Amino acid sequence: MKESLMDILCDPLDKSDLELEVTDRDGDEIITGRLVGTVTGEEYPIEDGIPNLLPPDMRDDE
Amino acid sequence: MGVLENKSRARLFYKYLSKVYDQINPYIWNEEMRDEVLELLGVEPDDRVLDVGCGTGFATEGLLRYSDDVHGLDQSIHQLQKAFAKFGKTDEVRFYRGDAERLPFADDSFDVVWSSGSIEYWPNPVDALEEFRRVVKPGHRVLVVGPDYPQSGLFQRVADAIMLFYDENEAQRMFEEAGFVDIEHHIQQAYPGSPKAITTIARAPESDETRDAEADERSTTDAASESASSADVGVETEA
Repeated sequence: MKESLMDILCDPLDKSDLELEVTDRDGDEIITGRLVGTVTGEEYPIEDGIPNLLPPDMRDDE
Repeated sequence: MGVLENKSRARLFYKYLSKVYDQINPYIWNEEMRDEVLELLGVEPDDRVLDVGCGTGFATEGLLRYSDDVHGLDQSIHQLQKAFAKFGKTDEVRFYRGDAERLPFADDSFDVVWSSGSIEYWPNPVDALEEFRRVVKPGHRVLVVGPDYPQSGLFQRVADAIMLFYDENEAQRMFEEAGFVDIEHHIQQAYPGSPKAITTIARAPESDETRDAEADERSTTDAASESASSADVGVETEA
Protein backbone atom coordinates (compact mmCIF):
# COMPACT_ATOMS: atom_id res chain seq x y z
CA MET A 1 0.00 0.00 0.00
CA LYS A 2 1.06 3.57 -0.68
CA GLU A 3 2.26 5.45 2.39
CA SER A 4 0.04 8.40 1.38
CA LEU A 5 -3.02 6.27 2.17
CA MET A 6 -2.36 6.93 5.86
CA ASP A 7 -4.31 10.18 5.24
CA ILE A 8 -7.57 8.28 4.78
CA LEU A 9 -7.04 5.06 6.75
CA CYS A 10 -8.35 4.63 10.29
CA ASP A 11 -9.01 1.89 12.81
CA PRO A 12 -12.17 0.07 11.64
CA LEU A 13 -13.21 -0.53 15.26
CA ASP A 14 -13.37 3.03 16.61
CA LYS A 15 -12.21 5.17 13.63
CA SER A 16 -9.21 6.45 15.59
CA ASP A 17 -5.81 7.01 13.97
CA LEU A 18 -3.47 4.20 12.99
CA GLU A 19 0.27 4.11 13.38
CA LEU A 20 2.33 2.66 10.52
CA GLU A 21 5.20 0.28 11.26
CA VAL A 22 7.19 -0.60 8.15
CA THR A 23 9.14 -3.87 7.82
CA ASP A 24 9.78 -3.77 4.10
CA ARG A 25 9.22 -0.98 1.58
CA ASP A 26 9.81 -0.26 -2.10
CA GLY A 27 9.86 3.53 -2.52
CA ASP A 28 6.56 4.87 -1.19
CA GLU A 29 5.01 1.40 -1.44
CA ILE A 30 4.76 -0.45 1.89
CA ILE A 31 5.24 -4.16 1.16
CA THR A 32 5.27 -5.62 4.66
CA GLY A 33 4.47 -4.07 8.01
CA ARG A 34 1.56 -3.39 10.25
CA LEU A 35 -0.96 -0.75 11.19
CA VAL A 36 -1.57 -0.34 14.91
CA GLY A 37 -4.63 1.31 16.44
CA THR A 38 -3.44 4.26 18.53
CA VAL A 39 -6.43 3.80 20.87
CA THR A 40 -7.41 0.13 20.55
CA GLY A 41 -3.87 -1.24 20.25
CA GLU A 42 -5.25 -3.62 17.62
CA GLU A 43 -2.71 -4.77 15.01
CA TYR A 44 -3.58 -4.94 11.32
CA PRO A 45 -0.98 -6.66 9.15
CA ILE A 46 0.25 -5.43 5.76
CA GLU A 47 1.28 -8.45 3.74
CA ASP A 48 2.54 -8.47 0.17
CA GLY A 49 1.43 -4.84 -0.20
CA ILE A 50 -2.17 -5.43 0.94
CA PRO A 51 -3.36 -4.03 4.30
CA ASN A 52 -5.67 -6.41 6.14
CA LEU A 53 -8.10 -4.12 7.93
CA LEU A 54 -10.64 -6.79 8.77
CA PRO A 55 -11.77 -6.44 12.40
CA PRO A 56 -10.17 -9.19 14.51
CA ASP A 57 -13.42 -11.18 14.83
CA MET A 58 -13.54 -11.64 11.04
CA ARG A 59 -9.97 -12.64 10.40
CA ASP A 60 -10.40 -16.40 10.84
CA ASP A 61 -12.89 -16.50 7.97
CA GLU A 62 -10.50 -17.86 5.37
CA MET B 1 -39.99 -26.30 -0.15
CA GLY B 2 -38.34 -28.65 2.29
CA VAL B 3 -34.79 -28.04 1.17
CA LEU B 4 -34.67 -24.32 1.86
CA GLU B 5 -36.96 -23.93 4.86
CA ASN B 6 -34.05 -23.99 7.27
CA LYS B 7 -32.31 -20.60 7.07
CA SER B 8 -28.86 -21.76 8.01
CA ARG B 9 -29.06 -24.48 5.40
CA ALA B 10 -30.21 -21.83 2.96
CA ARG B 11 -27.21 -19.66 3.76
CA LEU B 12 -24.95 -22.65 3.27
CA PHE B 13 -26.64 -23.19 -0.08
CA TYR B 14 -25.96 -19.56 -1.03
CA LYS B 15 -22.39 -19.74 0.18
CA TYR B 16 -21.94 -22.68 -2.17
CA LEU B 17 -23.70 -20.73 -4.91
CA SER B 18 -21.22 -17.87 -4.43
CA LYS B 19 -18.43 -20.19 -5.53
CA VAL B 20 -19.87 -20.14 -9.03
CA TYR B 21 -20.95 -16.49 -8.78
CA ASP B 22 -18.71 -15.37 -11.64
CA GLN B 23 -20.36 -17.90 -13.93
CA ILE B 24 -23.97 -17.09 -13.05
CA ASN B 25 -23.45 -13.38 -12.34
CA PRO B 26 -23.75 -12.25 -16.01
CA TYR B 27 -27.26 -13.75 -15.96
CA ILE B 28 -28.26 -11.15 -13.36
CA TRP B 29 -25.78 -8.29 -13.78
CA ASN B 30 -23.82 -7.89 -16.99
CA GLU B 31 -21.37 -5.41 -18.52
CA GLU B 32 -24.07 -3.50 -20.35
CA MET B 33 -26.08 -2.95 -17.17
CA ARG B 34 -22.94 -1.94 -15.30
CA ASP B 35 -22.04 0.61 -17.95
CA GLU B 36 -25.56 2.06 -17.91
CA VAL B 37 -25.50 2.81 -14.20
CA LEU B 38 -21.91 4.06 -14.41
CA GLU B 39 -23.19 6.64 -16.85
CA LEU B 40 -25.99 7.60 -14.45
CA LEU B 41 -23.48 8.10 -11.65
CA GLY B 42 -21.17 10.33 -13.68
CA VAL B 43 -17.79 9.78 -11.99
CA GLU B 44 -15.29 12.62 -12.63
CA PRO B 45 -11.61 11.93 -13.55
CA ASP B 46 -10.31 13.41 -10.28
CA ASP B 47 -12.80 11.55 -8.07
CA ARG B 48 -11.49 9.24 -5.38
CA VAL B 49 -13.76 6.22 -5.70
CA LEU B 50 -14.33 3.38 -3.22
CA ASP B 51 -15.61 0.02 -4.51
CA VAL B 52 -16.97 -1.89 -1.49
CA GLY B 53 -17.07 -5.65 -1.98
CA CYS B 54 -15.06 -5.29 -5.18
CA GLY B 55 -14.62 -9.06 -5.34
CA THR B 56 -13.11 -10.16 -8.62
CA GLY B 57 -13.07 -6.55 -9.88
CA PHE B 58 -16.00 -6.62 -12.32
CA ALA B 59 -17.21 -3.12 -11.38
CA THR B 60 -13.70 -1.90 -10.57
CA GLU B 61 -12.85 -2.36 -14.24
CA GLY B 62 -15.72 -0.08 -15.24
CA LEU B 63 -14.87 2.53 -12.60
CA LEU B 64 -11.27 2.69 -13.87
CA ARG B 65 -12.55 4.00 -17.18
CA TYR B 66 -13.76 7.11 -15.34
CA SER B 67 -11.13 7.66 -12.64
CA ASP B 68 -7.50 6.75 -11.93
CA ASP B 69 -8.07 6.90 -8.18
CA VAL B 70 -10.07 3.73 -7.51
CA HIS B 71 -9.92 1.90 -4.16
CA GLY B 72 -11.21 -1.67 -3.79
CA LEU B 73 -12.17 -3.29 -0.50
CA ASP B 74 -13.23 -6.90 0.02
CA GLN B 75 -13.52 -9.33 2.87
CA SER B 76 -12.34 -12.34 0.91
CA ILE B 77 -8.74 -12.77 -0.15
CA HIS B 78 -9.84 -15.50 -2.57
CA GLN B 79 -12.06 -13.07 -4.48
CA LEU B 80 -9.38 -10.35 -4.32
CA GLN B 81 -6.79 -12.65 -5.84
CA LYS B 82 -8.86 -12.71 -9.03
CA ALA B 83 -8.86 -8.90 -9.01
CA PHE B 84 -5.08 -8.82 -8.43
CA ALA B 85 -4.68 -10.94 -11.57
CA LYS B 86 -6.52 -8.28 -13.59
CA PHE B 87 -5.07 -5.05 -12.16
CA GLY B 88 -1.93 -6.06 -10.23
CA LYS B 89 -1.73 -5.87 -6.46
CA THR B 90 -0.41 -2.34 -6.14
CA ASP B 91 -0.58 -0.86 -9.64
CA GLU B 92 -3.89 0.46 -10.94
CA VAL B 93 -6.05 0.01 -7.84
CA ARG B 94 -5.55 0.48 -4.08
CA PHE B 95 -6.77 -2.76 -2.50
CA TYR B 96 -7.74 -3.45 1.12
CA ARG B 97 -9.21 -6.32 3.02
CA GLY B 98 -11.99 -5.04 5.22
CA ASP B 99 -15.60 -5.21 6.41
CA ALA B 100 -18.36 -3.18 4.71
CA GLU B 101 -20.06 -2.57 8.06
CA ARG B 102 -16.87 -1.32 9.75
CA LEU B 103 -14.95 0.58 7.08
CA PRO B 104 -11.30 1.45 7.84
CA PHE B 105 -11.56 4.96 6.36
CA ALA B 106 -11.76 8.40 7.91
CA ASP B 107 -14.92 10.55 7.53
CA ASP B 108 -15.42 12.31 4.16
CA SER B 109 -12.59 10.37 2.44
CA PHE B 110 -14.26 9.61 -0.91
CA ASP B 111 -16.00 11.48 -3.73
CA VAL B 112 -17.97 8.37 -4.74
CA VAL B 113 -18.81 5.11 -2.96
CA TRP B 114 -19.92 2.19 -5.17
CA SER B 115 -20.99 -1.30 -4.21
CA SER B 116 -22.42 -3.94 -6.55
CA GLY B 117 -23.28 -7.56 -5.80
CA SER B 118 -22.22 -7.27 -2.18
CA ILE B 119 -25.18 -6.02 -0.14
CA GLU B 120 -26.79 -9.46 -0.20
CA TYR B 121 -23.94 -10.72 1.98
CA TRP B 122 -24.15 -8.03 4.66
CA PRO B 123 -25.81 -9.14 7.92
CA ASN B 124 -26.85 -5.52 8.71
CA PRO B 125 -27.21 -3.54 5.47
CA VAL B 126 -28.19 -0.28 7.20
CA ASP B 127 -24.98 -0.37 9.27
CA ALA B 128 -22.97 -0.62 6.05
CA LEU B 129 -24.98 2.16 4.40
CA GLU B 130 -24.35 4.40 7.43
CA GLU B 131 -20.64 3.71 6.95
CA PHE B 132 -20.95 4.69 3.27
CA ARG B 133 -22.55 7.98 4.33
CA ARG B 134 -19.77 8.58 6.83
CA VAL B 135 -16.87 8.04 4.39
CA VAL B 136 -18.38 9.82 1.38
CA LYS B 137 -18.01 13.59 1.30
CA PRO B 138 -21.11 15.62 2.25
CA GLY B 139 -23.25 16.28 -0.81
CA HIS B 140 -21.65 13.41 -2.76
CA ARG B 141 -23.27 10.23 -3.99
CA VAL B 142 -23.22 6.49 -3.35
CA LEU B 143 -24.49 3.72 -5.62
CA VAL B 144 -25.55 0.24 -4.48
CA VAL B 145 -26.60 -2.63 -6.76
CA GLY B 146 -28.36 -5.64 -5.29
CA PRO B 147 -30.83 -8.32 -6.31
CA ASP B 148 -34.40 -7.05 -6.64
CA TYR B 149 -37.09 -9.00 -4.79
CA PRO B 150 -38.35 -11.58 -7.30
CA GLN B 151 -41.97 -11.47 -8.46
CA SER B 152 -42.85 -15.14 -8.24
CA GLY B 153 -41.94 -18.76 -8.07
CA LEU B 154 -38.85 -20.53 -6.91
CA PHE B 155 -36.65 -17.42 -6.70
CA GLN B 156 -39.13 -15.80 -4.30
CA ARG B 157 -39.04 -18.79 -1.97
CA VAL B 158 -35.25 -18.77 -2.09
CA ALA B 159 -35.31 -15.02 -1.34
CA ASP B 160 -37.65 -15.45 1.63
CA ALA B 161 -35.51 -18.25 3.04
CA ILE B 162 -32.24 -16.35 2.78
CA MET B 163 -33.49 -12.79 3.47
CA LEU B 164 -31.08 -11.08 1.13
CA PHE B 165 -33.26 -9.75 -1.65
CA TYR B 166 -35.10 -6.46 -1.29
CA ASP B 167 -37.57 -4.40 -3.28
CA GLU B 168 -37.69 -0.68 -4.00
CA ASN B 169 -39.66 0.16 -0.84
CA GLU B 170 -37.22 -1.74 1.31
CA ALA B 171 -34.26 -0.03 -0.42
CA GLN B 172 -35.90 3.36 0.19
CA ARG B 173 -36.40 2.52 3.88
CA MET B 174 -32.78 1.34 4.33
CA PHE B 175 -31.25 4.41 2.66
CA GLU B 176 -33.50 6.82 4.59
CA GLU B 177 -32.62 5.10 7.85
CA ALA B 178 -28.93 5.46 6.97
CA GLY B 179 -29.47 9.22 6.53
CA PHE B 180 -29.32 9.62 2.74
CA VAL B 181 -31.31 12.11 0.64
CA ASP B 182 -32.21 12.30 -3.08
CA ILE B 183 -32.70 8.53 -3.19
CA GLU B 184 -33.51 7.04 -6.61
CA HIS B 185 -33.93 3.46 -7.77
CA HIS B 186 -33.41 1.81 -11.14
CA ILE B 187 -34.50 -1.72 -11.98
CA GLN B 188 -32.58 -3.63 -14.66
CA GLN B 189 -32.96 -7.09 -16.10
CA ALA B 190 -30.42 -8.98 -18.20
CA TYR B 191 -32.97 -11.24 -19.93
CA PRO B 192 -36.74 -11.71 -19.67
CA GLY B 193 -37.34 -14.10 -16.80
CA SER B 194 -33.95 -13.67 -15.19
CA PRO B 195 -33.71 -12.17 -11.68
CA LYS B 196 -33.71 -8.36 -11.72
CA ALA B 197 -31.04 -6.10 -10.31
CA ILE B 198 -31.98 -3.02 -8.27
CA THR B 199 -29.62 -0.03 -8.33
CA THR B 200 -30.03 2.71 -5.76
CA ILE B 201 -28.24 6.06 -6.07
CA ALA B 202 -28.40 8.39 -3.08
CA ARG B 203 -26.67 11.51 -1.81
CA ALA B 204 -25.14 12.21 1.58
CA PRO B 205 -26.67 15.42 2.93
CA GLU B 206 -24.56 18.55 3.34
CA SER B 207 -23.82 19.14 7.02
CA ASP B 208 -26.30 22.06 7.25
CA GLU B 209 -28.85 20.00 5.36
CA THR B 210 -29.19 17.16 7.86
CA ARG B 211 -31.89 18.87 9.90
CA ASP B 212 -34.03 19.24 6.78
CA ALA B 213 -33.42 15.67 5.67
CA GLU B 214 -37.00 14.60 6.32
CA ALA B 215 -38.43 17.38 4.20
CA ASP B 216 -35.92 16.51 1.50
CA GLU B 217 -36.97 12.90 1.50
CA ARG B 218 -40.60 13.87 0.99
CA SER B 219 -39.70 15.65 -2.24
CA THR B 220 -37.21 12.97 -3.27
CA THR B 221 -39.83 10.79 -4.94
CA ASP B 222 -40.59 13.52 -7.47
CA ALA B 223 -36.94 14.37 -8.00
CA ALA B 224 -36.03 10.71 -8.42
CA SER B 225 -38.67 9.94 -11.04
CA GLU B 226 -37.84 13.15 -12.88
CA SER B 227 -34.12 12.47 -13.04
CA ALA B 228 -34.72 8.82 -13.90
CA SER B 229 -36.94 9.63 -16.87
CA SER B 230 -34.54 12.28 -18.13
CA ALA B 231 -31.64 9.83 -17.99
CA ASP B 232 -31.52 8.59 -21.56
CA VAL B 233 -29.86 5.24 -20.96
CA GLY B 234 -32.68 2.81 -21.44
CA VAL B 235 -32.91 1.82 -17.81
CA GLU B 236 -36.36 0.59 -16.85
CA THR B 237 -37.56 2.64 -13.89
CA GLU B 238 -40.26 1.38 -11.60
CA ALA B 239 -42.26 4.17 -10.00
